[in-house]
Amino acid sequence: MEAFSFHYLFDVGKSMKQQLEEILNQARAQVGEADTERSLGELKAQILGRKGSITALMKTLAGCSPEERPLMGKLINDAKTALEELFEARAQEVRALDVKRRLEAERLDVTLPGRRGLVRGSLHPITLVREEVVKIFSSLGFGIAEGPEIENDYYNFEALNMPKNHPARDMQDTFYISGDVVLRTHTSPVQVRTMLKQRPPVRVIVPGTVYRRDSDLTHSPMFHQVEGLLVDRHVTFADLKGTLKIFLERFFNSNISIRFRPSFFPFTEPSAEVDISCVICGGKGCRVCKDSGWLEILGCGMVDPAVYGAVDYDASEVTGFAFGMGLERLCMLKNGIGDLRLFFDNDIRFLRQFA
Amino acid sequence: MNVTWNWLKDFVDCSAFSPEEVARRLTMAGLEVEGLHKTGAGLDSVVVALLESVEAHPNAERLTLCRATTGSEEFQVVCGATNHRTGDKVALALVGTALPGDVKIKKSKIRGIESQGMFCSEKELGLAEASEGIIILPADAPLGKPVFEVLGLKDACFEIGLTPNRADCLSVLGVAREVAALTGMPLQVAPPTVVVGSGPHPQLVTVEEPQRCPRYAARLIHNVQIGPSPAWMARRLEAVGIRSINNVVDVTNYVLMELGQPLHAFDFNILREKRIVVKNATPGERFVTLDGKEHVLDGEDLVICDGCGPVALAGVMGGENSEIQADTHDVLIESAYFDPATIRRTSKRLGMHTEASHRFERGTDIEIVPVALERAVQLICELSGGVPAEGHVDVCAPHCLERPVVEISARNASTLLGIDISRERIRELLESIKLKVQDGAEDRLQVTVPSFRHDLEREVDLIEEVARLHGYEHIPAKLSSWSADSCTVPEFYERITALRYALVADGFAETINYSFVAPAVWDKMLLDAADPRRNTVTLLNPLTEEQSVMRTMLAPSMLETVARNLARGAQALRLFELRPVFAPHAASDREHPALERPALCLAMCGRREPEGWAQSAVMADFYDLKGVVENLLEAQGIARVDFVPETADPFWHPGKSCLVKSGNTVLGAFGEIHPEVAENFEMHVPILLCELDLQAFFRAPVVTRKFCQLSRYPNIQRDTAFLVDQNISAKKVLDTVRGVKIPVLEEIVLFDLYCGQGIPEGKKSMAVRVRYRSGEKTLTDDEVSALHQKIVDALIRVCGAVVR
Repeated sequence: MEAFSFHYLFDVGKSMKQQLEEILNQARAQVGEADTERSLGELKAQILGRKGSITALMKTLAGCSPEERPLMGKLINDAKTALEELFEARAQEVRALDVKRRLEAERLDVTLPGRRGLVRGSLHPITLVREEVVKIFSSLGFGIAEGPEIENDYYNFEALNMPKNHPARDMQDTFYISGDVVLRTHTSPVQVRTMLKQRPPVRVIVPGTVYRRDSDLTHSPMFHQVEGLLVDRHVTFADLKGTLKIFLERFFNSNISIRFRPSFFPFTEPSAEVDISCVICGGKGCRVCKDSGWLEILGCGMVDPAVYGAVDYDASEVTGFAFGMGLERLCMLKNGIGDLRLFFDNDIRFLRQFA
Repeated sequence: MNVTWNWLKDFVDCSAFSPEEVARRLTMAGLEVEGLHKTGAGLDSVVVALLESVEAHPNAERLTLCRATTGSEEFQVVCGATNHRTGDKVALALVGTALPGDVKIKKSKIRGIESQGMFCSEKELGLAEASEGIIILPADAPLGKPVFEVLGLKDACFEIGLTPNRADCLSVLGVAREVAALTGMPLQVAPPTVVVGSGPHPQLVTVEEPQRCPRYAARLIHNVQIGPSPAWMARRLEAVGIRSINNVVDVTNYVLMELGQPLHAFDFNILREKRIVVKNATPGERFVTLDGKEHVLDGEDLVICDGCGPVALAGVMGGENSEIQADTHDVLIESAYFDPATIRRTSKRLGMHTEASHRFERGTDIEIVPVALERAVQLICELSGGVPAEGHVDVCAPHCLERPVVEISARNASTLLGIDISRERIRELLESIKLKVQDGAEDRLQVTVPSFRHDLEREVDLIEEVARLHGYEHIPAKLSSWSADSCTVPEFYERITALRYALVADGFAETINYSFVAPAVWDKMLLDAADPRRNTVTLLNPLTEEQSVMRTMLAPSMLETVARNLARGAQALRLFELRPVFAPHAASDREHPALERPALCLAMCGRREPEGWAQSAVMADFYDLKGVVENLLEAQGIARVDFVPETADPFWHPGKSCLVKSGNTVLGAFGEIHPEVAENFEMHVPILLCELDLQAFFRAPVVTRKFCQLSRYPNIQRDTAFLVDQNISAKKVLDTVRGVKIPVLEEIVLFDLYCGQGIPEGKKSMAVRVRYRSGEKTLTDDEVSALHQKIVDALIRVCGAVVR
């Protein structure tokens, strides 16, 4: 900061009052230019310091008459107070400016990628879909049951009304461990196991891994299902429709159309296949729905009385429904995955997409 | 099952409906139409045209320049065929037509002359595989009309995905019966024309197994002339996917498709002793079927024999030895009913799946046996000029023709379906599919099940018919509230879910590998010959050797997955799989045919942190994985665990692996895998792996979380650095500190570890930070110093520490 010129300080021609006013005016003018604590300190020293102009004026008091002295003294003190206030106010401003400048100097490139110590992990898409299905049915009051993947032929087939040499067994090509032990071809044996353990009412869903001896673009020898079973008094086909409608509308979205079409499963009667309007084309027809506008999504039906026979339930007392769906298919439709093999290839580039 | 629109119309006049509408109704009634292929669709612009002139093309020797008229318009067409003359009627594809195979007809210049369309051959119209020259149409073909219409070739083929219960629909007649019910149009079945024969029919059939062959009918036809079938028959068969062979074999196939009754034609003159015996095969007997394959039969296979031996595998396939030949003169037509289970057993055992076995094993219509026979005889006589013997043979036990009666109650139907349906409505629906219905008591009906419906045995079977014919779409969707019950979840279900999320939080991606692996993986894992994990549950019929044994540990598939990802350029991996492993039961357990235990496998390799400007390029090591394991243990509340530096398993790096033990129970092991194992899986970088037995893991004692009062007083910390022998473990150091039992010791951290330059050989430098805090007062410096000195003393005494 350039030096001030205080030539007027000893200008005896001017009155004390005038001089003080000039000092004040000058200080007011100059204080704004001091924008660091240091320059402000220097300015303050020039005016209020030991060698400052006010101090110099103080010294002139000695030359004043005793009558004048208190008057002059007060004038100087008032000016001093005003100056100190002026400097204090400016000091606050300068401190704020200082902080602002310092912080400004610390500015970061916020567009730099964050420092992630870990790549986020991910659940397998099948796990995600399974949890979603389980969550929806849990909210409808279904419990969860599980069963072994290596299963007795009896539970997998016979107790489900598929005796040996029944053509319905052709619907599921089976891996055998021995003559009467198989890799379960569906989660339905858990229906039987659950009913054997528990008297009605029964209301469970059964997520699980299943196996069929089939491998090509659209079949995997291992895949996943969720089974559902509800047995109670007065359960009707209309209840089955209502339950699955709620599920499908929650899982996909409420704008889909749903249709129930007669089908055949040995362990349900009447049986139905459930289609939803194609989620890809909205029902207009595309490659995924083979131009039909519909997608087959699950199989279901009223529990066949023959199954009650196998678990010692009284078919005249209770009725119930069962349903089963493939999780890979649900997942493919929901996520637009075109290739079944991706699920078991475990390519990190695939898995990461579900983080 | 394929049926065509025109063939269906032989039985039901559904021309008031479009094929699409009929397809929709069939689908919604449980006969899913998976495909509807229309011949001649979009080809209405291929029309009949008259050739007014045929001249040589001025610029090309092999082409003709023709003028043709459709009656209303004239066209100039350049044509490369040679079989057309002025005055012929031809099939003209007008400009804009899209022919099969995506051939678009455009106005074009051929060698400088404009051509306004194309004359088509049968091949070009998709009517034949190959054809010579263009189609010359009959002289009376009306000009300008679509050719497909004129030739009666407009058709639609329904591809129906039948469920195994609907064997009755494995024929045109069966599908027509449904169509009639669904459209309300009458089903027209003319009684068969029985061809009058000449000469008494020989009684040549003996059925030794009436249980397995309840009905066997046959009729002999003399003097047939084997030749090609007429075009209409060949075309109908081809339309449903059956290749035309000759006029006798084609008839048997035609009747099979039409009525669902498999037939077989024998060359009668080849049959030894001119007789037929239906019996069980002699065990070990060899027999060559007409596909040229030899089979070894067993005593359970049913065979059709002549006087000396088998001539057909009953219900599956005829024999090569009695096949119809080009010079066959006399034909014996077989029409029979075989026991479904018998046929299924043989066809399964021999891996022979034929149109015949497909129907017999699902149950054919025993009453149609003679009808189909006479229909075939009629057609053969028509097409090949044969003359049948008088009458026919029909060996049938009368009780087989008795029909069961099933009762249905309107109330039961209403209760199961959740709708209110009357007895009259039920009667109407069941009669529409040709069931005989009579009134029963109260709300009930007595239903006589026809011989073509093997699937209707119980009331619920009839309720299903009612439901599907009424229409599932007419049953409302509602949601009742059911009685409350305990909604349980399986043991460990929630802990498994929590584990998954804990791993995701530590950056792991979940994988799902097949449960079956190659038996060779145990060698790759360097397992001992006697290792129990080689004792696997093995598939009898695996798809491949690679997927033939159920895995006893997750590690091999995980290593394959890691290797696959590395080969594809992955830089860093953190993967886990949480699924069961399998082992055979030592003792037999009827309820659980094998041992299944949930297991968890973790794999880690490559950089510790992701690539980035702010991340370090350090590789993950043993301690990264150990940190993950510690997090898992903490998340699950498993507190008292030892990491024991012994792993007996040969697939670990001996110096960089350990067991995780809770008391004496091994929960699992982790560490770096042996470099040789890595090489076996074609990986050349260190791979960290962890495999935990979750059953043991979940059974390990769990600390219940208990709240500790928070101290209001400040803590004081003291650091001490010291040298110890290399072999003094961290655990020993920490145990020593804890062993001093200072109640106000709040926390101890091993915050530095160093060896190398400046540290004497065989020694390492460690530094511990101990924080002290009392719950009752502010500790003084002097108090803390005194306490800390005790710790330092213990380290010196127990660990031989030299304070630095």
